[in-house]
Amino acid sequence: MKELLTLRINGQTHEAAVPSHFTLLETLRYVLQLTGSKQGCDKGDCGACTVWLDGRPTLSCITPVHEAVGAEVRTVEGLVGLRTGSGTPHPLQDAFDVCGAAQCGFCTPGILMSAAALLEENTSPSRDEIRDALSGNLCRCTGYTKIYDAVEMAAERLREQGERGVGR
Amino acid sequence: MLRLHDYRYHRPDRLSAALDLLEDEGAIPIAGGTDLMPNMKHGLFTPHHVVGLKGIGELRGISYGDGEGNATGEDEARELVIGACETLSAVAASRLVRRHTPSLAEAAGQVAGPQIRNSGTIGGNLCLDTRCTYYNQSHFWRKALGYCLKKDGDVCHVTKVGKKCVAAHSADTPPALLTLGAVVDLVSADGPRTVPLADWFVADGIWNSVRRRNELVRRIRVPLPGSGVRTAYRKVRQRKSIDFPLLSIAIATDLGEDGRVREMKMVVSALGSRPRVVAGLDKIATGHPLSDVTDAVAEPAHRQSRPLENIIVDPEWRRAMVPVYVRRALREMG
Amino acid sequence: MSTRTPRRTRAVPPRDDPEVGDPAEELEEHISHPDQDGQAPHGRRERVETNVIGQRLRKTDGLAKSTGRARYTDDISLPGMLHGKILRSPHPHARILSIDTSAAEQMAGVHAVVTGAEMPRSYGIIPWTPDEQALATDRVRYVGDAVAAVAADDEDTANRALEAIRVEYEELEPLLDPREAERRTDVQIHDPKKPGYNGNITKVVKLEFGEVDGEMDAADVVVEGDYFFEGSTHTPIEPHCAVGLWEEGGIAGTRLTVWSSTQVPHYLHRELARVLELEAARIRVIQPAVGGGFGGKSEPFDLEFCVAKLAMKSGRPVKILYTREEVFYAHRGRHPFLMKYRLGADREGRIRAVDNRALLDGGAYASFGLVTAYYSGQLLPAPYEIPAYRFHSTRVYTNKPACGPKRGHGSVQPRFAFEVQLDKLAERLDLDPIELRRRNFMGEDRRTINELRVTSNGFLQCLDAVERASGWKEKHRRLPFGRGVGVAGSCYISGTNYPIYPNEMPQSGIQIQVDRSGRVTVFSGASDIGQGSDSMVAYIAAEELGVPLESVRVLTSDTDLTPVDLGAYSSRVTFMLGNACIDACRKMKALVQQAVAEHWDAKPQRVLLAGGQAMDGLDTSRQMPIAGAFNLAEAKYGTLGATGSYNTPKDVHGEYRGGTIGASPAYSFTAHVAEVEVDPETGFVDVKTIWVAHDCGRALNPAIVEGQMEGSAYMGFGEALMEQQIFKDADHGRAGLHDAPSLLDYRIPTSLDTPELASLIIESIDPEGPYGAKEAGEGPLHPSIPAIANAIYDAVGVRMDSMPFSPPRVWKAIQAQKEMEGREGKAVAAD
Repeated sequence: MKELLTLRINGQTHEAAVPSHFTLLETLRYVLQLTGSKQGCDKGDCGACTVWLDGRPTLSCITPVHEAVGAEVRTVEGLVGLRTGSGTPHPLQDAFDVCGAAQCGFCTPGILMSAAALLEENTSPSRDEIRDALSGNLCRCTGYTKIYDAVEMAAERLREQGERGVGR
Repeated sequence: MLRLHDYRYHRPDRLSAALDLLEDEGAIPIAGGTDLMPNMKHGLFTPHHVVGLKGIGELRGISYGDGEGNATGEDEARELVIGACETLSAVAASRLVRRHTPSLAEAAGQVAGPQIRNSGTIGGNLCLDTRCTYYNQSHFWRKALGYCLKKDGDVCHVTKVGKKCVAAHSADTPPALLTLGAVVDLVSADGPRTVPLADWFVADGIWNSVRRRNELVRRIRVPLPGSGVRTAYRKVRQRKSIDFPLLSIAIATDLGEDGRVREMKMVVSALGSRPRVVAGLDKIATGHPLSDVTDAVAEPAHRQSRPLENIIVDPEWRRAMVPVYVRRALREMG
Repeated sequence: MSTRTPRRTRAVPPRDDPEVGDPAEELEEHISHPDQDGQAPHGRRERVETNVIGQRLRKTDGLAKSTGRARYTDDISLPGMLHGKILRSPHPHARILSIDTSAAEQMAGVHAVVTGAEMPRSYGIIPWTPDEQALATDRVRYVGDAVAAVAADDEDTANRALEAIRVEYEELEPLLDPREAERRTDVQIHDPKKPGYNGNITKVVKLEFGEVDGEMDAADVVVEGDYFFEGSTHTPIEPHCAVGLWEEGGIAGTRLTVWSSTQVPHYLHRELARVLELEAARIRVIQPAVGGGFGGKSEPFDLEFCVAKLAMKSGRPVKILYTREEVFYAHRGRHPFLMKYRLGADREGRIRAVDNRALLDGGAYASFGLVTAYYSGQLLPAPYEIPAYRFHSTRVYTNKPACGPKRGHGSVQPRFAFEVQLDKLAERLDLDPIELRRRNFMGEDRRTINELRVTSNGFLQCLDAVERASGWKEKHRRLPFGRGVGVAGSCYISGTNYPIYPNEMPQSGIQIQVDRSGRVTVFSGASDIGQGSDSMVAYIAAEELGVPLESVRVLTSDTDLTPVDLGAYSSRVTFMLGNACIDACRKMKALVQQAVAEHWDAKPQRVLLAGGQAMDGLDTSRQMPIAGAFNLAEAKYGTLGATGSYNTPKDVHGEYRGGTIGASPAYSFTAHVAEVEVDPETGFVDVKTIWVAHDCGRALNPAIVEGQMEGSAYMGFGEALMEQQIFKDADHGRAGLHDAPSLLDYRIPTSLDTPELASLIIESIDPEGPYGAKEAGEGPLHPSIPAIANAIYDAVGVRMDSMPFSPPRVWKAIQAQKEMEGREGKAVAAD
């Protein structure tokens, strides 16, 4: 059975007919064609599907779509422009590119959402704080090292940006 | 992708509406869903109606209470009152919880990974389904197995005999809450009732609590520990994140001003279908300095723990770890 | 957003300096080498100066991946697309008596049902062992073996349709233990190749080089050990996915397109043609972005055949996406190995003889198993001098998902055992384990005892680097109880000299096209599965043609558009595709140089292409934008395009049966030091740091090379400590059921578990590699496991000869040792 749901995603309002038993991830990927968020494990074990629900990193593959109604959802597509100008990648997205933090790139969207949430709260995270923040996201390619480098690089840029008062 | 079955989702914003919905036998409550959603994807639950609780304000809040659940200021406080739908992240980060019951904050902060703690709730953690290597599998897998006692079958593949399900209690917060003497406020369309957590669990892996299917956990109340109480929670798992416990140990010790044990409560869990409250500690520990009884109290904990092959990690090792982690938790307190 | 601008770094000597001779001659001499031979710089050992190569640059797909724009197979949605599902066997071993699909076919929303009878032709990635079918027709051989497939409007309908298919099975006894499979002939998992053969055996390899028995007898010390390497699986985060599209009519006639998360589009192309009995020319295979492979996507799988056949039957596009559980059934991961190793050495620690036996648990099908059986021995005799060597490997079938190539195919298991053997030898002789390895170093430009031609070899530098970086000398046998360090080395191939199916054609091809705008398009058939091969060819094009990196487009992995590359396996891509790209670029460059030279009335060698400009090397004030240079060339030669290819040397291998397996144009070398902290009370091993030194020849982009080294060390670390692809037996539920087919229960390390990984790049400059490069994606995995095992020994004095080194196993080993010491202590007391 489908229901007409109103969802706020990346600052935009979407109305969509969604099967009642869909997860948020299925809705994003297969109803709204927002395919940036990935499905890796089916059931909340890997973190590739991580999106923000009201700013908190959440596993969209085990979140009923109805739980997103009335909330602000942000996906990897919506990191572009956040803390930067419209259309400009988030410093974290750029840092991932510079550092080679994405190899196959499949866990990357989820990792970015976890890392970006950390940087919203703390632009001077220690390596252990970064490790903690990413401890629900499995990466099979990198050994995490380049990911830490990228998060640290982005944090530095956000600090500089904060000092200059940009993007807030 | 693993699919969910077809169901209707309800998201009431009032407790009474949720309770009405739960009167339908085909309805099931969902809070964070971090346990129920994977279980539904595995075909372990197939309710027609799923009742989301997260929009209900009455299930929220962490505050001081007067001993009967009414909010108070700090001066009159006799307990912590934690709404069932508070997330594990919120509990772990709560200033009140960290200050008064650090082992609970520790336990909540060690559940799974960060995202799951952002969704999962303390009420849900209390109601976490038991886990077993023969149960937490897809429908295809379980069908190939021939099913098991807990779901769709009539054999226990762990014990191979008997009609008792031995799936493991795997939640992190209940052991800590048990040592803290918490009580659970339940509510259903029939009215409220309060159950001490000590009476909450039953030795049945299929449904391991006294909660009736139409009942909701409304809140958990934790008496404020006295100033001499030290608490600890230790979780053994192979990875430092994501994993359920292979073994968990919670201890609360009330130390007198002389440094001697007035009372000690210890819970060992993740071995059987309910957390095990270690018996007989009074005789061993009471009246002695903590450091003198470390080995002595580890012994009954070891003796009373009998892990099974319900989790795919060597039960002999899991059992041997009991005294090791008991000693470590106690040393940390001293 | 800008990439780093390539800078001209080549110094031009001042014209009036009498000491330097004729500058024009020198310059021409200097730049003529790479430009004039039109081939890869074969035979050169010195470092070629470069502008782009060697820099830490962004990847061509980096931002697409970090913004969610990169398209993976499951991101594809075609109009009218159906969803397919595959029915799998619940039995580990059974005969199929009948399959009734009629009820499923009649269900509303079901558009096609297919069984093996419609695709009966058997196939196999190795042409000599075609023992698989797209869907089983008469026998299933593991829980999860594919039996039928459906396409329906949505996944839920497809799942319901699967339940409506009735399959009648006659259950057969399953064989799970490889020792039993080797011994038993009453139960045969496959029909014997010939009467009297055991159908449970895929391959037996027995090879002997030198006088093993004599050398062993003459050895001063013989180290013997039994080792067990546990099976593990790749677990790429992206589950396998495929989409099929069937088009009929028009001038093209009929045409099949398959998008797949494969790492071998070319082999998939061939096997689709074979199994579907279609002309290969009517099939197009497209590989979108792939979310990790590690060897787990390097052969065709049931889903690719099924989406094709279902699309053909239904006339609609069909997608199949594996569940995570199905990924565990597809497997093709690390073979479990039972090993019996002997090592003879003299008093100084010099190896005299090595005698190894291995039993490989292959699972239900051959996969790459024939090669695995050879690799289990062939890749061991370097980087150490082994004067006499014998190995005897048997790969058997068992009723479990098929094993195949996982990162470091077939040689990770023997390397584990052998490097632990070396550690034991060092202990026996009271030698430093690094010193022992140095003493046995084989050197450069040598043939191993089994005739592998080793050219560049930076293994000694690798040892030096990890020794220094780890503080080895202050730590080994000096750290307090519970802490320890261990070392291990290894060697790996940069591709194989012989392709999977015999042919004389190139292994890699590149086509380039330049546009009047100055843009260069590179058409590459290689599979970028995250390792960065698309970026690598872009760097080469920018280097060779002097265009800014942002002016290079790379179009990849589409059998209609791109030249053949054999795929992302055996660490072949950088080496082979890189050389092919250099070849194509230099052909193009020669045209551009000639055209510009004519325009300037100068010799072509004087025309340099760099930094987006064509310039006169002797008079750098004379320049023109590269687009202008391209336009001159187009005016002179017509539309500009060039192809390049690389083929491996075919005359470099051992002259014996199997002597071609393991032959590679170049070998990479690695050394690791791992530092661990072992909790003796619990058995938990905390790996603090792994120092990884890897001789990759030359790092074309050091950031990407480090990423490969770190990822490899990580993957080895995970196998060492926690990963197990294991199965239930009859006493535990049901024989052949996967123990843990999820990312919760099959544990791969999280960020909190993973050690610090320190990458140390060693550049030996290979004579045949592109700019001297060799592989970096698989070699650096090998030493992780033995280095950790040896570190555990250094920490707590127990030998972990059996994997994984999980807390229960380490704890038990420590307990056993205590008991033994206790007994010895009592015995002493009784005396």
